[in-house]
Amino acid sequence: MDTYFLANARCGAWFSRLAGRFNLFYPALLEERVHWQKYVPAGFRLEQLALRQIRAAESIKPFLFSPRERVASFPEPLSPDGKDMPTLLFGLKGCDLRGIAVHKKMFLEGEFADPFYARRLANTYFIGADCPVPEPSCFCNLLGLQPFLTQEVDLSLSVLDDGWLVEVISERGRELIDGDFVPANGSQLSQRQAQRERALAVLKQQNPKEWNPNLAGAIAERTSDRKFWVDAGADCVECFGCLMTCPTCFCFLLYDQGNAERFERTKVWDFCYIPMYARVGGGANPRPTFVQRFINRFHCKFMHAKNQNGFYACSGCGRCFTTCMGRIDIRKILGQL
Amino acid sequence: MSGAVKNPYQPVRAQILNVIEETPNIRTFVLKPETEIPFLAGQFVELTIPGFGEAPFTPSSSQFQRETLEMTIMRVGRATSALFTKKPGEWLGIRGPYGKPYPLREFEGRDIYIVGGGVGLAPLRALFLALVHEIKKYGRIYLRYGARTPRDIVYKQQLKEWEKIKGVDIDLSVDSATEPWERKVGVVTCLMDEIPCDVKKSVAVVCGPPIMMKFVTKKLVEAGFPGKNIYLSMEMNMSCGLGQCGHCRLGPYFTCKDGPVLTWEQIKDIEEPFL
Repeated sequence: MDTYFLANARCGAWFSRLAGRFNLFYPALLEERVHWQKYVPAGFRLEQLALRQIRAAESIKPFLFSPRERVASFPEPLSPDGKDMPTLLFGLKGCDLRGIAVHKKMFLEGEFADPFYARRLANTYFIGADCPVPEPSCFCNLLGLQPFLTQEVDLSLSVLDDGWLVEVISERGRELIDGDFVPANGSQLSQRQAQRERALAVLKQQNPKEWNPNLAGAIAERTSDRKFWVDAGADCVECFGCLMTCPTCFCFLLYDQGNAERFERTKVWDFCYIPMYARVGGGANPRPTFVQRFINRFHCKFMHAKNQNGFYACSGCGRCFTTCMGRIDIRKILGQL
Repeated sequence: MSGAVKNPYQPVRAQILNVIEETPNIRTFVLKPETEIPFLAGQFVELTIPGFGEAPFTPSSSQFQRETLEMTIMRVGRATSALFTKKPGEWLGIRGPYGKPYPLREFEGRDIYIVGGGVGLAPLRALFLALVHEIKKYGRIYLRYGARTPRDIVYKQQLKEWEKIKGVDIDLSVDSATEPWERKVGVVTCLMDEIPCDVKKSVAVVCGPPIMMKFVTKKLVEAGFPGKNIYLSMEMNMSCGLGQCGHCRLGPYFTCKDGPVLTWEQIKDIEEPFL
């Protein structure tokens, strides 16, 4: 794919032009952490873009899979048709995309596609950014991911000292490139290569031990070893923070509000750690104990996802244990298998 | 709305045509959906109690009866209690059908050994009616059904009619005979001491309370039915019905799209307490 260079002096203008066409969100460093911000022109400075840092504290999941969404109404039916201004996520990271891969499998590839998710995904543009300095929470390398993007985004951006290197990944992305860009030269490509190799080396250094290549099989074998799982989850206080921040979790709950004449159906995120999550009519519960629900999470993300889809439902972003009050590091648990 | 994208969360309206009291706490609701719900025996639908919420139920009527569908439902919790306040003429909502039907093509030429317990006869009734609709395709149809007491037996009149069908063999039991009862007394497995079909060439179909399914399956396995020929209706929290929300996960399966009927071969190694 073609790679272009945009000099520092011209980056701001390009960014502003993009902002005029999209609902644009970008990562910003706020109080020492990176957060997604909606672009508003007043007072914006390009230095607010946190492109050299690791992923934002929040995943990009809410942009596509809304935490709360009206999906049906009665008696007038709700149509998923409609047109909104497209959204642009500027500067997302490699780990952000694993969530989309999982959600595409769950919401779009079965017999019943979710038209709300499909519409939002089609209406969202993605400009990725290299993750030049992975932090101790990062472990995308253990999941076959990389700290930079070569596919599944529209454009892939690398920040160099004197400007941005932008690789065109999709045809849609090509339309975002304009006259200010010039073809990248060999020196610039070498700088990017060196930067990416440094990032890979950092990841390798902090996650030197690879997981069991048959991790799914190892989890299956270990399932009946209750002591292992009780010990692994002993510090959990059941706050569900790990699941709420996880970019790949896909569970949701449908609930109705209203009366017999008129009601609305709402879809909200749900979490398999919640005791009543699997309870059936009449009150029986197939996973009444926490350890069963704890094991279920590992089954879901690292056994069933791998066996059924060929990849883990984990992005290596590390949000689960940076959020965890008990500091439960899944790398340690999975590393013991 | 021509050309509109289909919304899988949107129920269609269904009017209650009739409510039949089967037992003191089991009723059959006869529904006429505004849009046909072309279900096959074994599939389920999500029934909306307007303003209250949804719950999954398997139609009990024949798949060949297209304009209306019947659902036989026991009052066990909040949703079913709300449903039991509904009367003929009132409206409900329906989404579906969902899940995989019984593989009737695979049943052809074989004896079918059906075991039901309590309100579990409802989905089995849909199966039974589909089988007798084309009865020449199948071997003998054995139906073994148990209820708590004679009063708790559903489809009492229909069972008498079904016994007259050539090629059908029915046996009934009750856990306790609190009123005059001329047939067996005991849990439904007491009807299984002699299994009259060739177990290697037959299929078994089971639906009922989890404890009943557990012991019936044990009997069937001991009798020599291959695990792939034992079909069990699994009860999980089939919430969205679309294979997306995750609530009905049962091992590697989503009960709503991979089931709700699963074979013993599929689920025997799954560590869940229901079976």
